[in-house]
Amino acid sequence: MKESIHTTIPSRKALVLFAGLTLLGFGAFVVQVSGKNPGRAWQAYLINFLLWSAIAQGGLLFSVVMHITKARWSGRMQSLAESFAAFFPLSLVLFLVLFLGKDYLFPGLHGEVRGLEVWLNLPFLFSRDLVGLLLLYGIGLAYTVYALRLRADSGGGGGGRIGSLVRRGWTGSEDEVKRSRHRMTTLSVLYILAYGFILTLIAFDLIMSMEPPFYSTLFGAYAFAKAFYLGLLALMVVAGLYYLRGGEDSGLRPSDFHDLGKLVLAFCLVWADFFYVQLLIIWYGNISEETRYLIQRVMLLPWRPLAWTVFVMGFVIPFFVLLNKRVKERPLVMIPFCVFVIVGLWLEHLLLVGPALNPGTVTLPVGPGDVLITLGFLGLMALAVTLFLRWFLHPVVGRS
Amino acid sequence: MVTDRRVFGVFPNEDKAMDVIQEMAGKPWRLERVHSPFPSHRVAAALKVKKSRVGYFTLAGGFLGFLSGIALAIYTAVQWHLTIWGKPVVAWFPFIIVGFEFTILFSVFGNVLGLLVLGDLPDYDGPELYDPRCSGEHFGILAACPEGEQEGLADFFRSKGGEARVISA
Repeated sequence: MKESIHTTIPSRKALVLFAGLTLLGFGAFVVQVSGKNPGRAWQAYLINFLLWSAIAQGGLLFSVVMHITKARWSGRMQSLAESFAAFFPLSLVLFLVLFLGKDYLFPGLHGEVRGLEVWLNLPFLFSRDLVGLLLLYGIGLAYTVYALRLRADSGGGGGGRIGSLVRRGWTGSEDEVKRSRHRMTTLSVLYILAYGFILTLIAFDLIMSMEPPFYSTLFGAYAFAKAFYLGLLALMVVAGLYYLRGGEDSGLRPSDFHDLGKLVLAFCLVWADFFYVQLLIIWYGNISEETRYLIQRVMLLPWRPLAWTVFVMGFVIPFFVLLNKRVKERPLVMIPFCVFVIVGLWLEHLLLVGPALNPGTVTLPVGPGDVLITLGFLGLMALAVTLFLRWFLHPVVGRS
Repeated sequence: MVTDRRVFGVFPNEDKAMDVIQEMAGKPWRLERVHSPFPSHRVAAALKVKKSRVGYFTLAGGFLGFLSGIALAIYTAVQWHLTIWGKPVVAWFPFIIVGFEFTILFSVFGNVLGLLVLGDLPDYDGPELYDPRCSGEHFGILAACPEGEQEGLADFFRSKGGEARVISA
């Protein structure tokens, strides 16, 4: 059944707003980076690059996981999750720009790195991360293209030049559909493997290596569990806005939000558990290379209140709120709530990189500039998702 | 109204069962029982079933478990007074794990106790009229009707995609 979703397509006004936010953020970054404290601008850039890229990577992972498990409840949510892939090319460009801030972002690598010189030299670090992101994003985009082609017959392939490009060569025959599904399954497996490896590598290189010789074996898994948590939160926001705009036309139901909310709760627990496991091992082992990192972030000022804030915003509040079924079913409640948790995880990124980039600080290194730069990244992500939803007509039609 | 004839319908999925439940509201027949292979929120809402009290047993078990776990960890730690790496003997940080595991365990115990108390279990005979497929993936609906209308009710079930079995009086 072809669904009419004219009311669900994001408006031009939204596009203008998001473009405005992007320019505002870009302007704030340029002003700050050419000012007295460029390190602060690069700190905000790094935090936002990590956060928004994680949202995109984790968001697409939802669609991939639903495909590979042959889930049937999530058809419409799965389509919306694919829109996060639109951020991948932007994330790649943002990563290349990150290289320009290398002198400010890796204080620990400019001195002695005690035997880690081969691994922790900046050109090699950036090269391997670039190759990793190219691989991950390449697989993700290929998966998304096949997903869009499978929806071409129900109008999901999109209109205009981009839609024609996606549908090029598509005949819609039974063999072609079968082949495409098989390729999607293969790409799903590759994406999941690449997701685990590449996000681990990014976490080790861009966060953990800030303070060598600290290392935690679970840091990578912590990062990719957090990315999926972030992706699910962002998907809840996008799906909620879509539902509020289109109502029944969106094809979403309160029970879909209930189901997604249960997944959000599950990954809230996974994220908190991975955090706790690292904390416990470091606490018990009491090895100075590891405890220094922890003590600085959870016991000393000005970071201790931030650590507790992150714990409450990222775990305690979501845990108790998400136990309730009625709350999960209501997008009007879930949208601001998920935004609140995402802010908590932004602060978590600050907690991880802040002490290394601001040694000896007595106040938290966050200010209006950081907020504006964050709004810029938000605008960029929103622009990417919105354009994806506008270009590819009927993106919420479930797969037959 | 004489309601001495019953029909048991078996439906392959939740949507078909829901169709029947919703349409039965406008029919002169009485819905007696619905079997579901999984806890269906839609069926529970349609039947206006009161929220189960088993959850309170689970909650009580969870609280008791958490306190018991922490108490056990503290009690066993103070018996030995072993100081490891300068850590306190009674340290809440690692004791959370024991408390967490006991919370899960005692929640399960509470849940089982709640089911036994509130579910009239153990029930060795099972429900009077039942189809074992309802423990697999099918939905079962038992409805009653006046004498003479049982074929109409059975046809109604069949028209909705189910199988119907007329129960002898």
